[in-house]
Amino acid sequence: MKLRAVLMALAAFLGMVDALFLSLQRNAGPIPCHITKGCNDVLTSRYSAVVGIPLSWFGLGFYVTVFSLAVFSIFETGQPAGNPLRWIFYLSGIGLMISALLVGIQAFTLRAFCEYCLLSAGLVLTIFLLSPHASPRKHSP
Amino acid sequence: MSKAVKPLSIILLAIVVAAAAAVYLSRQPNPVTETSAAPVLDNKGGGHFRGPEKAAITLVEFGDYQCPSCGAYHPVVKELMNRYPQQVRLEFHHYPLISIHPNAMAASLAVEAAGEQGKYWEMHDLIFEHQEEWSANPNPESQFLALASRIGLNANAFMQAVRSPQLQDRVLQDVVRAREAKIEAVPTFFIDGERIHVPLSINAFVDIIEARLHK
Repeated sequence: MKLRAVLMALAAFLGMVDALFLSLQRNAGPIPCHITKGCNDVLTSRYSAVVGIPLSWFGLGFYVTVFSLAVFSIFETGQPAGNPLRWIFYLSGIGLMISALLVGIQAFTLRAFCEYCLLSAGLVLTIFLLSPHASPRKHSP
Repeated sequence: MSKAVKPLSIILLAIVVAAAAAVYLSRQPNPVTETSAAPVLDNKGGGHFRGPEKAAITLVEFGDYQCPSCGAYHPVVKELMNRYPQQVRLEFHHYPLISIHPNAMAASLAVEAAGEQGKYWEMHDLIFEHQEEWSANPNPESQFLALASRIGLNANAFMQAVRSPQLQDRVLQDVVRAREAKIEAVPTFFIDGERIHVPLSINAFVDIIEARLHK
C-alpha cells in the first residue's frame, strides 16, 4: 500500500509541475505544441476557464490535495479523518470524469489537442488506477 | 502535532520544488518558435493594412479566423489600434490551418471577398466576433453571407468573389509567406519585421509599442 501511495505522490507531483507550468504560460503568449496540434486553440478556448478561473488552477488544487493525502498516507497520520487513500479514490474518480469530459471537448468540439492537458488526463487516470477500490480498511479499536 | 510535521514539511518542499520546476520550464526558449521560426520577417509584401501608411510602427499578424487564440487576440489588437491610431499600422496575413480548422480557408475567402467591395476590415472584425457561431458549422457559407449582408455588401458579387480563383491565390500567397517564415503557431506577430512574443493583454502590447516609440 505504501508503494502505491509513493507512486500516487509522484504522479501528483508531476501534475503539480504541469498545472503550474500551464498557469504560468497562460498569459505568456502563444504556446506551440511539440507533439500534438492546437495547444493554443485548447488553452485559449472558452472551455479553458470556469467563472474566469483557468482550469489549470483547479488542476493544481487537485494535485496538491492528492499529493498531501498520499504523503499523509505514507506517514500514516490520516487515521482520524479516515484512510487518505480512499479520499484519493473519490477525488481522482471525480477528476477522471472531468478529464474525460475535457478530452472529449478537445476531440469533438475544438478538434485540437493540448499535450499538457493530455498529460494531466493521463496522470489523473494513473492516480485513479493506483488508488484502492477495495472495501474500507477495518480499524483496530 | 509532531507526527504531522514531517509530512507537512515534505508537502511544502514539494510545492516549492514543483513551482521552481514550472518557472524553469516556462522560461525555456520554445524549440518550435525559437529555433524553427524566423526571428525576422523579410518584407515580402501582400497582406491588408489598417492604419496610416506612414505610421511609426508596423504590426504584422499572421492569423487564422477559426483559431480561438486569434479570436482571443483580436479585441486586444483592435484596442491597440484604437489607442495608437497614428503610430501603429496593422498588416494582416492569412494563415488558415486547414488541418485543424476546416472553415478557416472559407473564412479567409469571405473576408477577401468583402475586401473586393471595400469592406475588408469590417468583415475581418465580424468574422472574428462571430467565430464561435460559424466555427462549428460544417457549411458556414450562409453565415458568412448573412454577415456580409449586415455590412451592406452585394450578395451576388460577394458569392462570386468567394469562389474566385484569384482570391484563393491571394490567401495561398499568404500561406506561402507564413511557411517561408516557418510560422508554426497562430497568431504570430512581428513588429517592424522582428518577431515578438506578446502575452494576451493590452498592457503587454502597450509596453512593447511604448518601448518602440521611445527607442
